[in-house]
This record gives sequence, C-alpha cells and structure tokens, in this order.
Amino acid sequence: METNVTSIATKTPNATGEPGVNASRFEFVKRGFPLAMLVLLIVTFSIASPRFLTFSNFLIVLQQGTVLLVAALGMTFVIMAGSIDLSVGSIVALAALATALTADSLGAAAIIPAIAVGAAAGLVNGVLLAKGKVPSFIATMGAMVVYRGIVLLFTRGAPVSIEDEQFLNVYTNRTLGIPHSVIIGLVLMVVAYGIINRTVFGREVRAIGGGERVAILTGIQVARVKIYMYVLLGALCGIAGLLQGARAMAATAQLGEGLELDVIAAVVVGGTPLTGGVGSVVGTMLGVLIITLLSNGMNMAGVDPYLQNIVKGTVLVCAVFVTIDRRKIGIIK
Amino acid sequence: MTLAASDLRKSYGQTRAVDGVSVVLRPGMVHAIVGENGAGKSTTLRMLAGAEPPDSGVMTLDEASYAPPSVVGAAALGVSLVYQEITINRSLTVAENIFIDRLRQFAGPLGFIDRRRMEAAARAILERIGAQISISADTGRLNLGELKCIEIARALSTNPKILLLDESTAYLDHREVQAVLRVISELKGQGMTVAFVSHHLDEVLAVADELTILKDGQYVGTYRTTEIEPNEIHRRMVGRELARSIYPPRPPGVPSKPVVFEACEVAVGRELGGVSLNVRAGEILGLAGLKGAGAEALFAAICGDLPLRGGSMTLAGSSYAPSSPTSAWGQGVAYLPGDRHNEGLIADFSILDNLVMARPPHHGPFFDRAAATAIAGDLIAQIGIKTQSVDSSCRSLSGGNLQKVVIGKCLAVQPRLLLLNNPTRGVDIGARTEIYRIVRQKAAQGLAVILSSEDMPELIGMSDRLLVLRQGQITHRIETAADATEHDIIGHMA
Repeated sequence: METNVTSIATKTPNATGEPGVNASRFEFVKRGFPLAMLVLLIVTFSIASPRFLTFSNFLIVLQQGTVLLVAALGMTFVIMAGSIDLSVGSIVALAALATALTADSLGAAAIIPAIAVGAAAGLVNGVLLAKGKVPSFIATMGAMVVYRGIVLLFTRGAPVSIEDEQFLNVYTNRTLGIPHSVIIGLVLMVVAYGIINRTVFGREVRAIGGGERVAILTGIQVARVKIYMYVLLGALCGIAGLLQGARAMAATAQLGEGLELDVIAAVVVGGTPLTGGVGSVVGTMLGVLIITLLSNGMNMAGVDPYLQNIVKGTVLVCAVFVTIDRRKIGIIK
Repeated sequence: MTLAASDLRKSYGQTRAVDGVSVVLRPGMVHAIVGENGAGKSTTLRMLAGAEPPDSGVMTLDEASYAPPSVVGAAALGVSLVYQEITINRSLTVAENIFIDRLRQFAGPLGFIDRRRMEAAARAILERIGAQISISADTGRLNLGELKCIEIARALSTNPKILLLDESTAYLDHREVQAVLRVISELKGQGMTVAFVSHHLDEVLAVADELTILKDGQYVGTYRTTEIEPNEIHRRMVGRELARSIYPPRPPGVPSKPVVFEACEVAVGRELGGVSLNVRAGEILGLAGLKGAGAEALFAAICGDLPLRGGSMTLAGSSYAPSSPTSAWGQGVAYLPGDRHNEGLIADFSILDNLVMARPPHHGPFFDRAAATAIAGDLIAQIGIKTQSVDSSCRSLSGGNLQKVVIGKCLAVQPRLLLLNNPTRGVDIGARTEIYRIVRQKAAQGLAVILSSEDMPELIGMSDRLLVLRQGQITHRIETAADATEHDIIGHMA
C-alpha cells in the first residue's frame, strides 16, 4: 500500500480516550473495501457470464478504463485538496478536438496541442478558484458549459475525423499484445503515484485539503499549488481526450459527456473522500476498475440496459456509505 | 437539593477517563472541580449531567437514586449543564437561543411564536443573572463572555436547582471571565448550587466554596477553598512538588543584542492604529491586552496574513513587507496561531507531517523522508513531545502535546523571530512548563520572541519587557516585566 497517504491514526493506539482498538479494526474494513468490492464484482460476473473472465475481455476493460483512469488520476489531486472539477468531460472533448484538428499535420505530435489545450483549460479553472476566489464547484460548472460550447461552436455538431496513419499507429496499436493506450495509462499512474507520495507538491496538495487555513498560515503557497493542480488535471484530461479521440478515430461534440460523474465516482469509490486531506492513486485505480467492470460486466451478463444506471448509482452510494469517515467530518451536508 | 456521586467510573476503550471519583454538591454551594488536562473533570461533570452514563458508581439526588438517561432527562430533575463549547446559533436572536429547544411553549393558537412573551421570559432570566445583554442585541456581535452568559441563561431557563458549568472560561479573555464569575456569584447569592470545571486556579479561589481535585481520572480529595493554599492545589493536581516557579529564570544582565524586528507606526485594519515597538535578539517581548486590542492584528501583519494600512517594519535591519505568510516564513518569521485546531496544525496528519510542513526537506521536487524523519525526531526529543513514533497521528495527542508540535513546526525553520499567540491556552501545567523552558532556551540562543497572552502570570513570568495594548494603541510600556503586577497591567488594558 501507499505510504503516509491515509490517516495514520489507525496504526497507533489512541491515547486520548477514543475507542482505539475497535476503530482500527473497522478502519481496516474500510480501507480494504474497494478491493473487496472489485473481487466481489469479478466473482459475480464470472459466474454470470463465461466470456467475462477472458484475456480478451480483460484487455477491453483496460482499454475502456484508460480514459477514465487518466482523468481520475488528475481528479485525485483536486479532490485530495478538497476541491472539485466538473469540467473534465468538456476538457476531454476540447482536447480531442485539438487532436483531431492537428493530427493530419502533426501526426503523433498532436499530443502537444492536446496537452496544451487541456492545461490551458485547467489553468483557467485554477485561476478562477485560486485568484478569483470563485468556489470550484461553481467555477468548473460554468467552465463545463463554456468548454463544451466551444467544441460545439467549432464543430457545429459535426464529427471531425482522424485519419492520419502514423497518429493512429502510435496511439492504438499494440506492443506485446498490450494496447499502447493502456501502457500510457499505466505510466501516468506511476507518475501520479510518485507525485502524490514522493514530492513536496503532493504533500502541499494534501495539506491544503487537510486544513487550508493551517496551510496558508504555515507559508504554503496555496494559490499557486491550486493552480498547478488544476493545470495538472487539465493536462491529464488532454491526454485522455487524445486517447478517446484515437479510439473513436474522431472528435465529436458529445465526446466525454457525463465523464465527470464517472471520474468523481471512481475517485470516491477508491476511498478518496470529498472532504480532502487524504488521497490514494492505488485507490483511484481500483475505483476506475470497479466503475468500468460494472458496466462491462453488466453488458456481458446481459443485464437490462435500462436497469444499469440504477445499479451504478446504488454502488456509488453504498461505497461512500461504508468508507466515509464520519468521525472526522462531524456534520454531513 | 444535594447531588452525590460515589465511585464513578468511565472508560473509553482502553483508557480509564474516570476511575473512582466521588463528589457531593451541597445546596447553595459553589463547587469547583480542578485537575490537569485528562484528569477526568469534564467526564465527571458530563456524567452528573446525564450526557454520558457511568460504567459503574452510584449517583443520588436528595438520597433518591439518580440515573438520568440524557441531558434533557437531567434537566427535568433539576440538573442543568452548560457545555464547554459555545453552542449559540448566531443567526438566531438572544431569546430564540435561550429557548431553542422549547420554542413550542411560546406558540400561540395558530402556531406562531409569541415573540413578546418569549422575550419577556428571556429578559427575566438575563436580569436574574445580572447579565448586561440587551434582548434585542445582535448575537453576531456579542463577545464570547456574553455568549457564555446566554448559555447560562439557557441552562437556567429549565429552572434547575443545580447548575453544572463545563470549563466555562477556557477561551474567554480577562474581561469575559469576570462577567461569567459575576454571574456565578449572583446565582450563589440566590441559593443555587453550582459546580464548575476549571483550569484557572484564580477564578476557582475567587468564587468556589469547595473544590475537588482529580488527577489521572482518580479522586484526590475535596477541600474548602479557605483551607487550602494555591501551591498545595497545584501540588496535588500535578502529584509532584512543583519547582518554585514554572517559569525558567531570565538570563542575567541587560540584553544589548541587535534589534531583530522593529515596527514603526504600524496600523492594520480597524484594529490596530499606529504602534511602534522593537524586539532584540534573545529577548521575549510580552503583549498584554483584551481581545481585539490589536495584538492579533499586529501578528497577522508581521506574518504576512494581513496588509499594513500604514507604517513600516524592518527585520534584521532591512525593510520588511511580507506579501504573504510564505514570504514571512521564508524570511525567518514563524507564527504560532492562537487557534491550535483550526490554524496551528492538521490533527489528521502525522506528527512528522506537521513538524516539517513549513519547510519540508527536499531534493529538487522530491520530499526527503529520511531528512524529515531526522528533523522530526530531533524536535520531538528537544521539546519533549510524548509519542511512540513520528508517524503517529496528531489525533492521538493531548492538548499540551499538540501545542508542542506547533512549537516544533515553528522551530523547524530555525526562525529569527517567533510570534506566539496564547501559546498555552488549554494546556496543562506539565506541558506549560516544558513550553516555557524551550521558548526561554531558544531565546537564550538568540531568537527574538513576541508573546501575546491572556494569561497574566505567564506574561509577567516569561516576558523581559511588556507592552499593554488598548483599542489599537500602546497604553503602557514596562521595561522590566519581572517587576510588573497584574493589577498594574489590567489597569492599562480596560
């Protein structure tokens, strides 16, 4: 597991008179919950469908989950700092459009405009929050609509196709049977893990979520850290947009619609609470797998598509119900 | 009514919070319960008030068995509790706050609240306790002492025979403490039985008839306040002979070291209107004053949290105008805020995380955990933070230990100027002694310290020089703090 990420309170017996022993056992259940849920899903779907537990389906799940994973890695930082970003789906669409418009001339290097557009969109969000002091929920809700609007304005609703051979080769081919997109996702996961657990920036993000006033008075450059964090999320959404565009071989105005909900759900189901101060890349990966497997497995098992949303929503609420630490939050709003 | 409890016990998990405490509250007497942090004072009071059931022990009310199921149940029997925390809702009126759980009793036939009747009832209670609070006052503008009086009025509105006050004055300043003490004396004059928990021995001796000392959850004894000396109380609370003074000796000789920090006609917000002061290396400068007198605003400006409205500052001889706390810390100014929990540290984080928060050791962008562990281990040993490991969560620490962590966080940056805002608020005497020792030791090594405190003995005992603030102005300068008297300081404060 990761070092120092979740509350370390659980390791030490409590000296203040709070229920120590039982709490830590319960804590263990909570921390193991995402993994337990993942195992449960795999077992259930394996029984329900013979095609579920196959290598080819495994690759499909990984491919489906990569876009979600890349965006959710960035969201882990933002949620860990106690903020939110509702515009990720729109940034993904914006980046996919940038990719599609430049892929013919730049080839694989179209990743540069994709990242640049994503980072710029994240920069706007970060500045609105950190400098403009607009609450992130509102700022990014507005941004969600505006960024999507820009995509609509550019495309007039028509898809922009990607045909460049070199581009598609680089981002959709396989090496040793593993799709390149999955490799990119795994590399980014390692990088995100390193940033959260090994860098000063990662600690500062966590400190902002743990107690922003404390962080400010201790001299942490809170505004700057918040902006960097949104730029990082934007850049990751840029890559996610490129991968999504490459898979679909086109950018459309609808691409990434509703993605923000899956991204937030994946992070939260993975055990990173919306209250901030705590965050785990491994948890986010588990959350992404749970969200992706749930859709994939229900399709495989032939669950009525009209029923699927009800199951997904229920799983999300149940996960939070079990993992949320009510002792720390006190009043739930 | 006589409320008696014998051999009360209460455990939380492995910890025995209260372990065999007996106490008798006799009619018309003011009874104080004293002890260090974690002695079991609040738990005892909460059991008497029905807020928590004891694990074992017997409680009787006028010799009848007494086992209230809840605070409401206890109130119905005539025992009322005032909580430690302020529970006033500042968006409601004074009267609404007093009757918050019984608004229904003022409902008219159509279900609307009869405001006039409610306000008359509220006014009657406030008059009874002699509180100078207008019924139409804006609760958002009242000070903590006034809010506490409203809480007391709320507890009295159920017509109790016995009033229990939990640690009522822990966060109140001198003027507010006096207001609460006046209310207690007033109630005592009316024959009310009052029991209260307190850290402050002076207030105990001022109003209590009897006092019960607890230590580590155990009962030490009950005494008449006229029969026991303050030193003796201290000794029994701590359980060992205290050194003659809890304040370390000042270094001999007049400090003639260089001036580290100087403020010239500094004005901040509406609170501080042009003060000039300086502090030398190795010196502890004390700031006395009521809340809002300007010390907080001055600290906010020095630590870069608020901009100057006028004046200028110099640090180590060159112009100093921090644009943010980042800039202040970067130039060697460390700030210990007055609110440990919301501003001083992040309780959910480990001791190590908090200790190196201001200046994390790093190689390029990467956090250097080995160096951080060494720094944290060194600070823990130096300051005497009691913990098993640097990775323990701060949640497991007591108030005194938490404050030592905040001090460690400040010292970790090896500051040249240290700002202490009420560094021992809610800290027990053992931890206080250690905090005083480390601060004096660092000063002896050349650190300049500005200490703002509501605790008069602390200011007199720790400071080399003292300034008294009133309404944003310096009203008095005391060059040798050791010769100052509380009376003298208070005279210039209010």
